[in-house]
Amino acid sequence: MAEILVVDDSKVMREMIVACLRGQEGLAFTHASSGLEAIEKLSLKPFDIVVLDLNMPDIGGVEVVEFIRGQDKLRDLPVLIVTTRGDEATRARVLGAGASRFMTKPFTPDVILAEVLGLLSGSGAPG
Amino acid sequence: MSRSGDFGEFVSGFLVEAEEHLRSANGNLLAVDDAARKGEVNPRAVRELFRSLHTIKGLAAMVGVEPIVDLAHGMEAVLRTADRAGGRLSPAAVEQLIRGSEAIEQRVRALADQKPVPAAPPLLLQALVELEPSESPSGVPPRAPIELDPELLAKLTASEHAQLTGGLGQGKRAVRVDFIPSAARAAEGISITTVRERVSALAEIVKILPVSAPRTEETPGGLRFTLLLLTTDSDEAIAAAVTTTRAAIQPLTTTPPEAAAPPGPPREAWLGELDGEDPKRGGVVRVSVGRLDDAMEKLSALIVTRSRLARAVAALAAEGVDVRALRQIAYDHGRQVKELRGAILKLRMISVRELLEPIPLLVRGLRASTGKSVRVEIDAGRGELDKAVAERIFPAIVHLIRNAIDHGIEPPEERRRKGKPEEGLVTITCFERSNTQLELCVADDGGGIDREAVARRAGREIPRSDAALLELLSLPGLSTRDQATKTSGRGLGMDIVKRLTEELGGELLLRSSPPKGAGTELTLRIPLTVTVVDAFTFECGAQAFVVPVAMVEEIVEVDFEAVVKSPMPLAGGFQVSLMERRGEAVPLIGLHSLFALPEGGATSTKALVVRRNGEPFAFVVDRMSGQQEIVVRPLSDPLVKVPGVPGVTDLGDGKPTLVLDLVALSGTLSGKRVEASA
Repeated sequence: MAEILVVDDSKVMREMIVACLRGQEGLAFTHASSGLEAIEKLSLKPFDIVVLDLNMPDIGGVEVVEFIRGQDKLRDLPVLIVTTRGDEATRARVLGAGASRFMTKPFTPDVILAEVLGLLSGSGAPG
Repeated sequence: MSRSGDFGEFVSGFLVEAEEHLRSANGNLLAVDDAARKGEVNPRAVRELFRSLHTIKGLAAMVGVEPIVDLAHGMEAVLRTADRAGGRLSPAAVEQLIRGSEAIEQRVRALADQKPVPAAPPLLLQALVELEPSESPSGVPPRAPIELDPELLAKLTASEHAQLTGGLGQGKRAVRVDFIPSAARAAEGISITTVRERVSALAEIVKILPVSAPRTEETPGGLRFTLLLLTTDSDEAIAAAVTTTRAAIQPLTTTPPEAAAPPGPPREAWLGELDGEDPKRGGVVRVSVGRLDDAMEKLSALIVTRSRLARAVAALAAEGVDVRALRQIAYDHGRQVKELRGAILKLRMISVRELLEPIPLLVRGLRASTGKSVRVEIDAGRGELDKAVAERIFPAIVHLIRNAIDHGIEPPEERRRKGKPEEGLVTITCFERSNTQLELCVADDGGGIDREAVARRAGREIPRSDAALLELLSLPGLSTRDQATKTSGRGLGMDIVKRLTEELGGELLLRSSPPKGAGTELTLRIPLTVTVVDAFTFECGAQAFVVPVAMVEEIVEVDFEAVVKSPMPLAGGFQVSLMERRGEAVPLIGLHSLFALPEGGATSTKALVVRRNGEPFAFVVDRMSGQQEIVVRPLSDPLVKVPGVPGVTDLGDGKPTLVLDLVALSGTLSGKRVEASA
């Protein structure tokens, strides 16, 4: 069972992401409604992948990624950034900070599923 | 969901979140507007505004509402620039942002009403784009002497820095405190999320930074959160909120301005406040009114069952059975059903504070359009209203405020001449008058109403009392203004306010020149709850009636050729006929005879079929006139209470129309019912 941490301050957005992925067997989901909550959950329990929004209160996705990469045990954790048009400028920054992949809303279910499965299999994502 | 991505099922969730973000955005817009007009900055409001819009944009993109994406995108760009300039926004920029927010709101509403969403106004988008490059490089505020690890200091943005220095300038203390999460604390429900919530009640949170730490007993997760705060509260209170000791609170300045910030009275432990009713802390679940109505309907069925139970107990008692234990159970059950009804009704209530939230923005708009200087003070109290009442009365409140500013408050130069402060004041106060009625008062300190002018225009005598004055003002189409104004239009529209209030079974009161000096005071007294139902309207004996649609099984054509006289009259000696309907004999009752109304002639061929305890009854009416949503005003006065007539409604003609409960009416006619309750 792969544990997925879905991080977004919008509940609907988290639900949409889970709806895209839940058809796939072997995935379990944990929600975090802020970057702070995500970091806290990551420090207390192992996860297999993080699906992360960039724009959140207090600390954004970039800072979450920076934190993750600064922790020995989280260094190899796959992080998929899911974000909104207009954040493209942040793309280089967040990939530089160590995010694994970057995708922009709106996305379709098959695209995000492919990204997640690709990251879980350790091969990076297609295309 | 399809693989290609149809997120249509998430539209209702989007609407809920979008409304929440818009509400928060409007609050922050007012804050930045206030700051911009004073030449100050409010970096936090700018950041929060940005975030609200960004979330709306992302969600709108997912559910495919491009016009909202475009608007939010344009506004965001302006805010991003402002954030980089330490939160600095020009009044012109604020103006466009407010327009943008209104445009998004309109589109969210269109989506909610399942109407086509209009494209984003190109001129507005253009105006937002033109604002963007106005970034002033000098806008970046100088860095204040804040004592913090250089590593942490480097993580603060310009606007966060501006927020800290601004807060210090206002006499707040800047402090740092660490929260260390652990599995044990998480199990007790103490997490960074709950700590953040607690702290935000005591302090302005400037930044929360996650800091890696070695995994030791002290920091079991290898993590600590550093909170940077601005506060006027005591160290003890903050320490308690973060579940740490007072010693852990570190000031961020070498010379803490102790004198400037006397510690407030010690707050009680935060956990003690948990049972307060602040919805922000209690966790809010939004439920569609449809679901609540559904619950209410299910409850109605339960109430029917409950009366059957009571009858069964009575029947047993009549047979000489000892029903004392059973009666107690039935009694408890009845009380519980009543409590459940109260609980469901309560779910439909919204706070007056929430209802009045858009008012400051409205007043701001009126200030701009009338050129008058005016501020609004709102004391919403703790009152709550049924959502249905709130939605119906809100336009009346808006009308009163428009009138107050447009007609009541004088232009600045006139006020100066009169020796009044240049800035006019509109106050809105609200309190619960009784447990069924709310009083909401809109008062202004303007010139009051010119009785002579009103009388002249209405062609009547000068009214002697306020009530008579209100009567005149409520004449349709009356205006004391020669020219239509942009704000209130030509008429005062008081007739509309009066009608909205009276439709709800409320009252409108006027006090011109209340004791405090000049001005006008209008008071709405409105019921806390109403019942809104979809109803058929029909005529019988030249009188209008309504009946809830849900009650009617069918509307049938009556073939009077095939109607036969019933062999026996119903209870009360009513003579009925029988008609055939799908192989079933249905009693046919003329409403004329029931209410002793004049016969409507032989044209009536329509009948409403209802079912009671499985048996059909058909009521003949003169003419079906339509279907509409009505507000039922219950007839609660025991002197006028009639079985089968639960209330009255106003169909818009200002006259009361009887709401009929045909099921109950058929009950009073049914022989069985008479036997059972005898």
